[in-house]
Amino acid sequence: MSKAHHGNGSAERKAAALLAATTLALASVSSAAASGPAEVTFLGSPSSAESIAVGETLYAEHCAACHGENREGQPDWRRRLDTGRMPAPPQDGTGHSFTHSDAHLFAMTKLGIEAVVPGYESDMPAFEGILEDAEIIAILSFVKANWPEERRAYQASLPGMDAGRPGE
Amino acid sequence: MTDFTGFRFNRRALLRGAIGASIMAMAPQLRAATPAGYRALAFSGGGAVAAGDSFLTSEDGGATWRQGARPGASPVALAAHPERSGRLIVALEGGGVAVSDNRGETLILGGRGLPAAEISALATAARLPDTLYAAIPGDGLWRSEDAGESWEFVMDRPFIAGEERDVLSLASVDLASGMGGIWLYGGSTAGLQRVPDCFCRWQDVQPEHALDALVEGAEAPEPRPLPAGEPVRALISSAAAPSRLWAALPSGIWISADAGLTWETANAIAATALAGDPTNPDTLIAASPDGLFHSRDAGRSWTASTIL
Repeated sequence: MSKAHHGNGSAERKAAALLAATTLALASVSSAAASGPAEVTFLGSPSSAESIAVGETLYAEHCAACHGENREGQPDWRRRLDTGRMPAPPQDGTGHSFTHSDAHLFAMTKLGIEAVVPGYESDMPAFEGILEDAEIIAILSFVKANWPEERRAYQASLPGMDAGRPGE
Repeated sequence: MTDFTGFRFNRRALLRGAIGASIMAMAPQLRAATPAGYRALAFSGGGAVAAGDSFLTSEDGGATWRQGARPGASPVALAAHPERSGRLIVALEGGGVAVSDNRGETLILGGRGLPAAEISALATAARLPDTLYAAIPGDGLWRSEDAGESWEFVMDRPFIAGEERDVLSLASVDLASGMGGIWLYGGSTAGLQRVPDCFCRWQDVQPEHALDALVEGAEAPEPRPLPAGEPVRALISSAAAPSRLWAALPSGIWISADAGLTWETANAIAATALAGDPTNPDTLIAASPDGLFHSRDAGRSWTASTIL
């Protein structure tokens, strides 16, 4: 069990390391506006109200078509499509996004689900080249800001969530 | 006049009877091979249970069995948890679930919310004794969080080689998924996959540092999966050593010591059900068309069990 923890933690530390500069830059921009709608962090850095607002706009442009205007996911999202792929799950805390660490959420959004589950086929595209790293972080911060508090607390307790924090 | 002869005769007869009874008591009990038709197994309440047209119970790790209760409906799958002594969850032929708190003596129907279809696989969650998983062919995976009383749909079937596959066997494996929970392994009609118990996606068993390898471009450990395309009829994980798995395929019983990344064949028994003693990973039982078997060396060798 602990080995699996270490394995994932190590993986997420590496993914997080790729983002460290971006995240720190975002954090420095957000430092003047630390009073967001919720206590939201991403990869250990606080998400500002501005970045969450930017994330809301970007979510509507890039994510809502599949994940739903209100992040409710596609209908009957637990049942496989005729293509064999799974529908887009909710992002409002009723799905399973909160069971993924920040590093995994970032990697799946930027590089596609296959970055985390090798060989897995998904309708979700990789957003590398479409969205900047900071934009992906803004979207994910917006999503996290609208999870119920207990979902954020659950995600914060995941083994990979302590990876990538400054000073660690 | 008192007939002492008769008395002497009776006393001799009594003496002979006593000696005979002593010899009988010292003689081994009559034993027979276990009959075929027992298709569900579990360890519960410190003993083992086999279910077919009747329940059999064993108090010696499956070496010998005794007749137990004869249920009204025929069980097709059993599940138990070491923290719920004596409790059996029973999937019934034709559909539905029943719960017994006395190893099958009495059954109480549950299964609210389940479709009217027969369950093909049943398992308890390793860390949550009242949480159960059931697979239904042509449908998917269902979960109960109240020991079988009510159920909800949680996940579709695995998608292997371009098709959805029915799950024939389930094992909750007490190893961290990295997503705040553990893994649920599913043996399907065409191989093995697993899903985190948050039910985000079925996936092949990957090396635990697969993402490290992707990031670094390093070589990941080489998986050695079960034979492609074979149905996984039974699948168990050791409660005492969760990385150890056993799978029953038509080609025999296979063993993994690394949570299903690599497998090796252990025995040619064509088992249809397996169960492991939660306190001792070396003690296993198997059901096959030839009867019941038991192993005391973690599945390497098997001995035909007997019924008393």
